Amino acid sequence: MTDEKEPYAGEFMDAPRMAPEAIAARKKRNVWLGLALFGFVVLVAITTIIRLSNTDLSEGAGFYYSNSGDRTPVDAAPALPPGMTEEQAAPPAGLEPSEVPE
Amino acid sequence: MTDAPATPAKRYATASDYVNLMKPRIMMLVVFTAAAGLIAAASVTQTPINPLMGAIALLAVALGSGAAGAINMWFDSDIDAIMTRTSTRPIPSGAVPREEALAMGLIMSGVSVMLMWLASNWLAAALLAFSIFYYGVIYTMWLKRSTPQNIVIGGGAGAFPPVIGWAAVTGNTPLDAWILFAIIFFWTPPHFWALSLLAHGEYEKAGVPMLPVTHGARATRLQMLLYTIVLVPLALTPVLTGLGGWIYAVTAGVLGAVFMTYAVRVFLSKAGDADCTAAEKKLARSMFLFSILYLFIVFAALIIEHATGLYFAVKGF
Repeated sequence: MTDEKEPYAGEFMDAPRMAPEAIAARKKRNVWLGLALFGFVVLVAITTIIRLSNTDLSEGAGFYYSNSGDRTPVDAAPALPPGMTEEQAAPPAGLEPSEVPE
Repeated sequence: MTDAPATPAKRYATASDYVNLMKPRIMMLVVFTAAAGLIAAASVTQTPINPLMGAIALLAVALGSGAAGAINMWFDSDIDAIMTRTSTRPIPSGAVPREEALAMGLIMSGVSVMLMWLASNWLAAALLAFSIFYYGVIYTMWLKRSTPQNIVIGGGAGAFPPVIGWAAVTGNTPLDAWILFAIIFFWTPPHFWALSLLAHGEYEKAGVPMLPVTHGARATRLQMLLYTIVLVPLALTPVLTGLGGWIYAVTAGVLGAVFMTYAVRVFLSKAGDADCTAAEKKLARSMFLFSILYLFIVFAALIIEHATGLYFAVKGF
């Protein structure tokens, strides 16, 4: 028997222990959190797939997306002014495109 | 020997506590009115929307509403603990720490706005972000504790969902969308004040300057009547613009007449006064419950007309 004091007595504490109910509740919360994160990833994937499927990815078309699925070509001719017919808007007959100098 | 006071059992947060942080009952009405805006926009403008994208846009509205609710509960946890009606909410009951509610609100705000942008367009996402800010900051942090007009101005936050739904489809917000906004805006005061007539003692205890606390029950009943007088004809304006057809016109007309009857009866009663009878309290509660039904059915009429092809225009308009 010794009268020496226990080393470090009172200087350290045990780590706080969680009650079994608290651990069970935390596990459940974590499962829901995991499901929520998974759901978020799925939603982002779905929106991305739908957006890409409604996007005109052809060369020169840019990156056009329409939520309505309406794909108006980017290089389509602009609408005619009110009152103008197709014939009036057409270029004069025999007009050749100008040559591009090399 | 005396019995020691019972210590309340320690509560551990469950998933349902986090769901309750999002104010699910408010969320349902928010999603429903957003759906009405979305469906009406697609029908009126003949703009088809991918159904899955529409569903995701509505989910984003639900998440945004939940985020605003969580921020509201974080900020109001001190007054929630004082009022009996709100003392069992997740934060005052000790189930969810305040910081977690704030973190959840902020993260969900970001997620909801991002999802909305992905599923629709920047305008709908920006409107959703603004409505979260409106409810979480302008109403909760500023108006609620500073003015008796808190729920009048703050009602704008709850009025945004149909505008967001409309913008998600068309990318713009025409007059029809703002008419739906106005219906909810003018519906909010008589709806909320009917409840606060019953609970003004609680608000007084918590120091919240609700109209019945600051101006008395009689002034509140008058204001409820005046807002209802504006609301009932306003709810018929969709018929003038062609947004609502016969089904909507009859529904809004009949329910509006009932709403007006409630408002007049409550105005003539002593509901909210110190000497009011149990029947008068019951009348105010009935008006509160009817107001929820009113908004639900009026917007349901719009959805039915535009989703099922049962729209029959009212001739002459």
